[in-house]
Amino acid sequence: MKWDNPRIWLWVAAAIVVVNGFFPAVWILLTSFKTESELTRIPITWLPENPTFQNYVQAFTNAPIMRYFLNSLIVAGGATLLCVFVSALAAYALARLRIPNKTLIFSLLVGISMFPTVTLLLPLFEMVLALGLRNNYIALILPHAALSIPVATLVLVSFFQGIPKDLESAAMVDGCSRLGALWRIVVPLSAPGVFTASILAFVNSWDEFLLALTLMPSQAMRTLPVGIQFLQGEYSFPWPLISAALVIALVPVALVIAIFQERVVGGLTQGGVKG
Amino acid sequence: MTQPQSRIRRSFGDLSERALAFWLLVPAALLLGLVALYPVGRLLYTSLFRRRLTDETGNSPVFVGFQNFVQAFSDERFWTALWNTLLIVLVTVPGALVVGLLLALLANLPFRVKWPIRLGLLLPWALPLVFAGLIFRWFFDSQYGVINDVIVRLGGERLLWVTTPELLFWAICLSIIWKSSSFVALILLAGLQVIPKELYESAAVDGANRWQSFWRITLPLLIPAILVAAIFRTITAFQTFDIPFAMQNGGSSFETLAMYVRTMSIENLNFGYGSALAVLMFLISFVVTLVYLRYVRGADD
Repeated sequence: MKWDNPRIWLWVAAAIVVVNGFFPAVWILLTSFKTESELTRIPITWLPENPTFQNYVQAFTNAPIMRYFLNSLIVAGGATLLCVFVSALAAYALARLRIPNKTLIFSLLVGISMFPTVTLLLPLFEMVLALGLRNNYIALILPHAALSIPVATLVLVSFFQGIPKDLESAAMVDGCSRLGALWRIVVPLSAPGVFTASILAFVNSWDEFLLALTLMPSQAMRTLPVGIQFLQGEYSFPWPLISAALVIALVPVALVIAIFQERVVGGLTQGGVKG
Repeated sequence: MTQPQSRIRRSFGDLSERALAFWLLVPAALLLGLVALYPVGRLLYTSLFRRRLTDETGNSPVFVGFQNFVQAFSDERFWTALWNTLLIVLVTVPGALVVGLLLALLANLPFRVKWPIRLGLLLPWALPLVFAGLIFRWFFDSQYGVINDVIVRLGGERLLWVTTPELLFWAICLSIIWKSSSFVALILLAGLQVIPKELYESAAVDGANRWQSFWRITLPLLIPAILVAAIFRTITAFQTFDIPFAMQNGGSSFETLAMYVRTMSIENLNFGYGSALAVLMFLISFVVTLVYLRYVRGADD
């Protein structure tokens, strides 16, 4: 092949984007199969010499990774359900009904989505202490759900707007109530939108660190980001264990992203650019 | 005789459209009120008091007016944290925009198979910030890190990334730029895809080369998307917490404003002063948000 062949440059471009996106994950995957003695040798090796599952065994037995995983799943699952349900109701009103000061409501939503989380931290901490909810799932589910309401609502509004109004009117003429029409016509037709909003809310909660660190700090209640971060201080050479734990934590999210990539990209740019 | 129009039943019995809208908005408003609006009010209130959970003011706060703010202005640690945060913004926002633009331009090429490209942009976005911090901490490890390995193989000297303050700053910045540039790229890619192809065709007819059509067509038409990405990035970079926290294992030899606010309020349990610091941080980020909202509304008109 010649260097002025545009197809070579296309391959180079693809390689740059793919390597940039994948190399940290790939490196951590390689690290997770190396033994401690291999990891502490200089010069370092790139590919594992004697691939081992020992780090995974340790992650499952010595470190409560599965517990962290379960905590993350409960929090992110609960927050997603609550957030999408509440946002769907609000988004329907904003997309379909006559409301005074609609622009103000949208501005408020965007404005709230930009509040620095750390400024909400102390009041939330006080509330949680006062209610005796520290280390309770509720303490994290409510704020995580609320923090994703703006983006979920904006994504859902644009999906609802894409559904022809006539379909609803027809259902209502046929005797459906407005909520009935919402449930039987709008919700099924906007399933892709609901799905996109759910993924965004889920990833937001799955990734969140600051609130989880402060509101659910006891070891049994740590989410994955908090639990894995703390492994750093709990082991003298924590990297074999951390890399195995990271792989375990990343696989489900990577799968979801891989399967639903087009929807995620659509939702992100909608929530972002339209916001 | 009933008109078809009047046979449309209005939800629960006879709820008017306005009442229905109200009830549909209530749950979201309640949740946001509880988690976002009430806390901000509470913060403003607490910032006017001397209140530490470690002494008697924990139960009986003493009203001190603006004294906490006066204290902040002469608090060297506050100014250092603010300065560190501004440095992070000044380095990582342009950095992420340049890298993001480059990735977007590459990803916009006519590939036949698009999923590896899309996944390459999505993976860094979906990776939790703390995980990015941990992975890059391992990359930058002075003894066993892959970055020093590459430097040594290229004939350079091993660098003490984590323990040298200036190097730590750059390690943090590089991690943030890597983590955030893919989100920028996704936004810019959406902007690139709506630029009409005919513009490039007619420019080519007029004899413009690629370089010229990039500067005269792509960049000017991409400015709105670049601005949106820049403001988003500025607001999130101003809140930087996770990556420096993870890279220093909770330490604070490099401290951002968000890290200082958390330490003062949650670790030191100094609620009054911590609130005042948080209020200052909130005000700065509020101004940036107002600029953004004005810009978005201006673009709608």
